[in-house]
Amino acid sequence: MAGAAWSRRRVLAGLLLLPPAVAGCSLGRATGPSGPDPLIALADAARADAALAAAAVAADHGLAAALQPLVDARTRHAAALEAEITRLDPDRPTPAPAPPPTSRPGRTEVQRAVLASGRAAGEAAFGLPPERVGLVASVAACCSAYAEVLK
Amino acid sequence: MSSANPRIDDTAVAALQNALAAEHAAIWCYALAIAFLSGADATRAREDENAHRELRSQVEETLTQLGAPAVSAQPAYATPRPVTDPASAAQLAVVAETDALAAWRSLLERTQDRALRQAALDTMSAGTLRCARWRAAVDQTPTIPVFPGQP
Repeated sequence: MAGAAWSRRRVLAGLLLLPPAVAGCSLGRATGPSGPDPLIALADAARADAALAAAAVAADHGLAAALQPLVDARTRHAAALEAEITRLDPDRPTPAPAPPPTSRPGRTEVQRAVLASGRAAGEAAFGLPPERVGLVASVAACCSAYAEVLK
Repeated sequence: MSSANPRIDDTAVAALQNALAAEHAAIWCYALAIAFLSGADATRAREDENAHRELRSQVEETLTQLGAPAVSAQPAYATPRPVTDPASAAQLAVVAETDALAAWRSLLERTQDRALRQAALDTMSAGTLRCARWRAAVDQTPTIPVFPGQP
């Protein structure tokens, strides 16, 4: 935790020291206007995490207390992200449910998946406009917290 | 007054002041809560209070660099419920963390600056964990908020 606090201090205290070229990146978009909506990948990840965690609970009911809240959270993330995607693209077809995992996932696999999802959401947040960044940041923070407590 | 840094506009400075006000309030809340807590809860409350002191000094430092006078703390804050015992003290910590998360998410929505967004995102992740631990202490479910910082 000390390391995290220190890097955060450096980020905040050092924000004026960034060269303008780096600062300009914050206004860039990860994809062009014609690229896919970056929230689609995040919604897919939310559905996949929910399916993975549900499979882990099905394989070992002892994991229910730790993982059922994650199943519920990631399901709600998927719904909220999907609503935002559909707002900009009303013709988007209803996405197919995530396929069930092929292997028998355990706590470790779920932790790794939600950690990766949190990082992906955090990375996506940088390029998003104000009306979308809050939702994606909340998803990222929620995933990070699950990744931490499931370690 | 316009900001000394062209990348951080007045809207972002106002959001930073709002985050600072939330940090002032959180520190006050923890100081009150600690008086009613003992053992591991008191230790954790002190750690969390220190985390908010660190954030407060980082935001103050950043505002100073931006040439904006940092907002001061209020002499006292109104608690939503009277704090009289360990349970109500833990509940106040939940409120403090929830309010701070909202302020940091709001900062993300009011700046495109990458460094500020990164700092706000890191703070939301750490704050979500603090919030979750106090929610667990008062048996609030889900323990980890699904959309941290969402108003």
